[in-house]
Amino acid sequence: MPQVRKSEEISGWLFMLPFAISMMLFFVYAIVRTAYFSVTDFDLFQAPTFVGLSNYLTLLSDPLFLTALGNTIGFSLVVTTAQTILALLLSVLVNQAVRGKGFVRTVFYLPCIMSSAAMTLIFLWLFQRDGLITGFVQFLVNYRLYVLLFLACLAFAQGALVLNASRKYDGISNVDPFFLLIALTVAIGATILSAFWQPLPIYEETFLISWLNTQQRFLFMPTTLWSVAMMNIFTTMPTLMLLFLAGLQSIPHALYEAAEIDGANAFQRFRYITVPALRPVTFAVVTMGIIGTLQMFDQVAILGDAAPLSSRITLAYYIFENAFPAGASSRIGVASAAALILGALTIAVVYVQKIIGVKERLD
Amino acid sequence: MSVNVSQLQYSEQRLPAKALRRRQLAVGVWLYLALIAIGTVMTGTFILAFVASLKVDPLERPFRLGFDQVNPAAWFAAAGLGEQGAGAPWWGGFAPGARVTFNATYAAPTNVTIEEPKAEIPRRRPGSGIAAALTRDYAADYASIMLKDVRSGTMSVRDDDGGRTEVWQTRTFTYEIAYDPDRRDGPTIERTPLNLTAPRSQSLVDSTLSPSRTERRGRLLSWDNITPGALGLIFNNYRRVINETADLQTGKSLFGNWLVNSFVIAVGRVVLTLIVASLAGYALARLKLIGARFFFAAMLFSMTIPAQVTFVSNYLIFRDLSLLNTPWSVIVVVVVSAHVLLMKQFFEGFPKEIEEAAIVDGANRFQVFWRIVLPNAKPALMVNAILAFQGAWNDFFWPFVLITSPPSSLTIQVGLLSLRRSFGGAQADWGLVLAGAFISIVPVVILFVLFQRYIISNQINEGIK
Repeated sequence: MPQVRKSEEISGWLFMLPFAISMMLFFVYAIVRTAYFSVTDFDLFQAPTFVGLSNYLTLLSDPLFLTALGNTIGFSLVVTTAQTILALLLSVLVNQAVRGKGFVRTVFYLPCIMSSAAMTLIFLWLFQRDGLITGFVQFLVNYRLYVLLFLACLAFAQGALVLNASRKYDGISNVDPFFLLIALTVAIGATILSAFWQPLPIYEETFLISWLNTQQRFLFMPTTLWSVAMMNIFTTMPTLMLLFLAGLQSIPHALYEAAEIDGANAFQRFRYITVPALRPVTFAVVTMGIIGTLQMFDQVAILGDAAPLSSRITLAYYIFENAFPAGASSRIGVASAAALILGALTIAVVYVQKIIGVKERLD
Repeated sequence: MSVNVSQLQYSEQRLPAKALRRRQLAVGVWLYLALIAIGTVMTGTFILAFVASLKVDPLERPFRLGFDQVNPAAWFAAAGLGEQGAGAPWWGGFAPGARVTFNATYAAPTNVTIEEPKAEIPRRRPGSGIAAALTRDYAADYASIMLKDVRSGTMSVRDDDGGRTEVWQTRTFTYEIAYDPDRRDGPTIERTPLNLTAPRSQSLVDSTLSPSRTERRGRLLSWDNITPGALGLIFNNYRRVINETADLQTGKSLFGNWLVNSFVIAVGRVVLTLIVASLAGYALARLKLIGARFFFAAMLFSMTIPAQVTFVSNYLIFRDLSLLNTPWSVIVVVVVSAHVLLMKQFFEGFPKEIEEAAIVDGANRFQVFWRIVLPNAKPALMVNAILAFQGAWNDFFWPFVLITSPPSSLTIQVGLLSLRRSFGGAQADWGLVLAGAFISIVPVVILFVLFQRYIISNQINEGIK
């Protein structure tokens, strides 16, 4: 038997060989070298010289690095949270639909197969100063009285219908779906009528909005990155929605029926059945989200000079920018130190997330 | 008091069954309304972007949905003009022997006389940048324009504020643009531009094709091409993005080069991925070998670590091998851990007994793998091939780092960046940029349409694990 065992060992290694070489050379060796470069001064041409931890100290005193770190963490937080929640809600919505699930799946999947470069170009066009998004905002601003009219009609019609019905019947909800449908029709009709008759003034304000090319900040992140975040949420949400949808379909229907008999309302069913049952999928989704957002690079690179560096820089781009700066010599040491920090950050976040996940599952 | 009690009972009535059913139906209506709304936002963005990619100026405001490129009447007109220009109804042109008839109708209030516009074939460079430098033949050098016919008429015009209708006079000018009869051996020219200058008191109300732009507050109307042909009209930006990203030395289309490069890299990556992943996946699934656990851990690790952590070393490796700026570097550099995992999972589900029987019959491991296991692994290989192609085609970072020059060796994704730089900046020629983006997604869309089921189901499986 040892003969067979040994031949199996040898053939096993022969099978592994191509992958093993690729893994050792392009991943393991690369990480070791990055760690080595991070304690040296190296410009890609002269031999590296050992400088100890000074690269790390340089990083800590480089305001651009701190901006990049802040941007990356902010971006990751915003996008991961928003896309997870939106994907969950959307999947619940789609799951309710009896017909057309397959169609919805196909339609929603399209943004996910596109390259980030093509996506970013389309969004750059949308977010131009005189682009479509600005045009939409301008439309809303100029027709603000009509928007208000629509909302007022909706509220008024709904209020009247609910009030009228609750004089006769008990248990009419304020957002009764049937009445809301009627109210919506009334409000749309009223708005369209008034658009012909034009009793309210239409403002004619034209303005440009700098979504991308701006130093402005909103809360903890530059406006530019908020725009990129919107795009990222938009493009990743559908994939995540499909993951949730698959998870939802494995929840036994009997659970919901039992809860309904016990008098649980829709929100309680969602909170106490759907959310806990989807926990494993949620962890997968969050992990994918974190890994994806922490290494956001393509969008920043394609934005290029369309936005100032400090309003678009992320850690991944900071590393590249130091390794291949335009018109300056490479600072591989600093880039490698930042790269290790990015790697450590990713591992740490994923690890912490995993620990929490395991703990929750044990509880 | 008794009145009050009866009122109370009256108000405690529950809704009748019919009304409750109506409410259930209403919930369904709301659900589908919401789905339609979300779907409209998601796909609408792409449809709007595609429609805009056909326009002369995708940034025009307000955003119009009716323009020549989406108007069948204009397609026929363009096909007719292309036929007259070069006998080419699809892609148009301006060739020796051409006689092109072009109409322009101006209107003005009755108290204003409509003057004959000044017509000329301008010596305008098509597009910008490198294409402009490469252009040698101009329609202006070969074309003559003359007024052939003028017709008068009237039209009714609605006043802006009062809603009153007024009668305006119109004059239709018919021009003939002819290729110089003495230059029978002249070249075929791609585009025939036209300028019409007229006083501002009269306005253009109709023309065989709509003008590409108006300048000098409406006095100068200019057409980029009055002999476009149907496809030349609709897909003008698409043709431009291919022609105008030309290499200065060879004159060949860079965009075409980028597509070919991406294709070569994607195919190379698919082949390499299939070989590496199926071999390693099989070893990890079936053969006991020392170090398997190390590799398994390294695989999971390599799927979380960003490429930015490893790229400097990898860049140096290819520099030392003088493989920078070649497709080889981008094909080889990716560690295909996810694909190995996929193959490993598939092989673990493959019945062991068949392989054991073959081994008893005297086959060695490689024969078993090649003759028995692989032929049965087609679905898994298929998924891997599709994902590898999609991943390689969409990859931006590695080509961005490893292939930087010459411009003709870039991949399409990095090429899109250079498109953005040269046309999406101050130039604001967004038609080209959008057209480039849409061409670049064609291969993955085809792949998606053909193999939808594979892609989606795999994505879902992966997420659940």
